[in-house]
Amino acid sequence: MAGMAPEGSQFDAKHYDSKMQELLSTGETEEFFTSYDEVFESFDDMGLQENLLRGIYAYGFEKPSAIQQRGIVPFCKGLDVIQQAQSGTGKTATFCSGILQQLDYGLVECQALVLAPTRELAQQIEKVMRALGDYLGVKVHACVGGTSVREDQRILASGVHVVVGTPGRVFDMLRRQSLRPDNIKMFVLDEADEMLSRGFKDQIYDIFQLLPSKIQVGVFSATMPPEALEITRKFMNKPVRILVKRDELTLEGIKQFYVNVDKEDWKLDTLCDLYETLAITQSVIFVNTRRKVDWLTDKMRSRDHTVSATHGDMDQNTRDIIMREFRSGSSRVLITTDLLARGIDVQQVSLVINYDLPTQPENYLHRIGRSGRFGRKGVAINFVTRDDERMLFDIQKFYNVLIEELPANVADLL
Amino acid sequence: MRPILMKGHERPLTFLRYNRDGDLLFSCAKDHTPTVWYADNGDRLGTYRGHNGAVWTCDVSRDSARLITGSADQTAKLWEVSTGKELFSFRFDAPARSVEFAIGDALAVVTTDNFMDHVPTVQVKRIAEDIDDQTEESALVITGIKGRINRAVWGPLNRTIITAGEDATIRIWDSETGQLLKESDKESGHQKTISSLSKSLDWSHFITGSLDKSAKLWDTRTLTLIKTYVTERPVNAVDISPTHDTVVLGGGQDAMNVTMTDRRAGKFEAKFYHKILQEEIGGVKGHFGPINALAFNPDGRSFSSGGEDGYVRLHHFDSDYFSIKM
Repeated sequence: MAGMAPEGSQFDAKHYDSKMQELLSTGETEEFFTSYDEVFESFDDMGLQENLLRGIYAYGFEKPSAIQQRGIVPFCKGLDVIQQAQSGTGKTATFCSGILQQLDYGLVECQALVLAPTRELAQQIEKVMRALGDYLGVKVHACVGGTSVREDQRILASGVHVVVGTPGRVFDMLRRQSLRPDNIKMFVLDEADEMLSRGFKDQIYDIFQLLPSKIQVGVFSATMPPEALEITRKFMNKPVRILVKRDELTLEGIKQFYVNVDKEDWKLDTLCDLYETLAITQSVIFVNTRRKVDWLTDKMRSRDHTVSATHGDMDQNTRDIIMREFRSGSSRVLITTDLLARGIDVQQVSLVINYDLPTQPENYLHRIGRSGRFGRKGVAINFVTRDDERMLFDIQKFYNVLIEELPANVADLL
Repeated sequence: MRPILMKGHERPLTFLRYNRDGDLLFSCAKDHTPTVWYADNGDRLGTYRGHNGAVWTCDVSRDSARLITGSADQTAKLWEVSTGKELFSFRFDAPARSVEFAIGDALAVVTTDNFMDHVPTVQVKRIAEDIDDQTEESALVITGIKGRINRAVWGPLNRTIITAGEDATIRIWDSETGQLLKESDKESGHQKTISSLSKSLDWSHFITGSLDKSAKLWDTRTLTLIKTYVTERPVNAVDISPTHDTVVLGGGQDAMNVTMTDRRAGKFEAKFYHKILQEEIGGVKGHFGPINALAFNPDGRSFSSGGEDGYVRLHHFDSDYFSIKM
C-alpha cells in the first residue's frame, strides 16, 4: 500500500509492533517479567523513610505523578525494573527515590551507579539526587568526562554513596580502581535505549562485567524500542515493566508544526524570520551535526541575532557555562545537536525548533520533549525541505500525531 | 497591555506579594530563593538565600523592613528586606505552608502541613522588635483540622484567624483562645480543596479560590457568602483589586496533566470578573503553565502573575481598564 512505510524502514510500525508483541507474548511474560500492579496515590503511603519524605516534600513535590505512583515502590523493594514514561513526567525522581530509600548511609562506599548518555544529563541527575537526599546526608558525585581525573579520584577516595556518570569516565575510574564496585548493589541506566544502542552498548557491557553479579538493575527512558528491550533480557532478572504503547508516547501538550521551506538554503531565512518570536521565551534549535551548529551560530550572529551554542566538541568548561546561562535565563536561544535531545530539563523552554529533522526516529520525541515539561505546554516547529516530507509523514503515522502547518500568528502560541 | 516578563526563578512560582507601598514585589518559587523586584519595571533587586526547600508563601511588614517566608524545608524564616540577611529561623516538624504578619507586625501566623504522624497546625508566633529577643515560642497552636491548611490569614483587628485548605472548609478562629468561632456552610461553600485566599484592602471581605473551578467572596466577620465566580478551570490563585470592583482568578488544569492533554485544555489565562455583577470582564494570556500566584499592586494600576512555567509576568493596565462601565 502506498500509504505504508516501506518494510524494514525505521518507521515500520508493523515490524515494531510485532517485535514488541513477540517480546511481551504471554508465554514470555510469565517467564521473563514480574507482575506488579500496585498504585500509590501519595508519597506517604509508599513506606518511604522519613528523611526521604522530607526531601521529597522539600523539593516541592506534593503528589506523585503516574510513573511515580507505579514505579517507586517496586524499585524500593529491590526488584529489577523497566520503566517507560512520556518526557518530563517524573522518571528521574522515581529512580532517585528508589536508590535513596535503599542506601546504607552508615557505609560510605559506592552502593549505586547511575549511567547517563551525556555529561549535562548526569550533572542534572546528580543535582536532583542531592536535593532529594539532603536530609539523608547522601554523598553523590557526578563522574563525567572533560573534568579533572585527579579530582574525581580524590572525591571517590573520600567516599560517596552514589555515582552518577557517563560511561567513558566511569569505566576509566573502575579500571583504575578509583571506583570500587564491591558494594554496588544498584545499577541504573537512564535514557536506556540510547545507552544500549550501538554507540554505548560495548561500554555498558564492559562496565557491567566489572560489577557484582548480584545487582539490582533499573532501566528508564521515554522511548523503549524492541531492540533495546531485547538486550535487557541478557542482564536483568524478571523485571517489573511499565511500558507505553508507541502511539501514546507523544505529548498532546506539545503542539507540533511544520514549515515547508522547500530548500535547505531557505531554512536560515525562515529561522531569522522567527527569531523575534524565539527570544520571547527560551528556545532550543536542533541541528544534526556539530559543524552545522558552528555554521548556524556564525550566521545568526552575523545577522545580529544573539544565540548560544553547545555541542560535544566544545571543552567542558564552556559547555558548563553555556548550560548555566541557559538555565538561568541569561541566554534564551540555544543551538545544539542531539547532545541535548535527552533528559535536559530547563524550566522556561517552551519552543523547540527542528532545523534539521533527526536522523534517529526516537530523537524526534526526545527533542520536542525539551519543551512541554511537567506542568508546562510547549511548541515544536519542524523545518521541512522537499527531501524531508517523507520522514515527516512517517513520524506522524508512527507516533500517531498531527503535525500542522505553522500559522502566521506563531507568537500567540507561546 | 504588553507584559514585562521577569526571569530569575528556575522552578515554578508559588506566591506573589507586594509591599504596602506597592514599589516592591516579592516572589516565591520552588527554587529555594525568594526574590524581590522593582514593581514598576520588573528589575530584579535581590534574592533571599538560606532556605533548603520550595518556598510556599511570604509576607512583608508594613514598613517594608522585614520579610517572612514559609518553606517546605520545615522552617519559616525572617529576613531583613534591604540586605537579604537572614534574621531568624522558626523550625517545625513538617513543611511550613502559609505565613502572614498581623497588623502591627508583632505577631505572625504560620501553618504546617500534615507530615507522616504530624497533624496540620496553625501557629501564632510572637515577632520581636529586637531580633536578639526573638524566640521560637508559639503563642497559640491550633490543631484539629484535617487536611492541609493552604492559607491562614489574620482577621480584622487581629482578633481572629481565617483558615482554608484541603477539606474545602473556611474556618474563623479566636486568635487568643484558639476557639473555633465559625465554619463556612457546606452547601453553598466550596466543594473541593481551597487553594488560595486573599483579603480586600480594608479586610472587610475576602475571596477564596478552589479546585472546584470557582472563587467565592465572603464577609470576614460573619463568614456569609457574598458572591461566586464560576470558571471552567481549577482556580489556584485569586486577588481583589484595591481600587476597582474587580477580582482576578488564575489557575489551569493540574500540573500533572498539562503535558498529557491538548494545549487548548490548559486554560492558563488570568481572568477578570466584576466583583459585584459576577460577570467575566476579560482575560490575560501568556503563561504556558498553570498560574499559581496572582497579586494586584496596592495602587490598583498593575498586577502580577506567577506560573508553573517559572515566569513572573507584570502587567500595567491600559487606560481602557480604568474606564470600564458595567
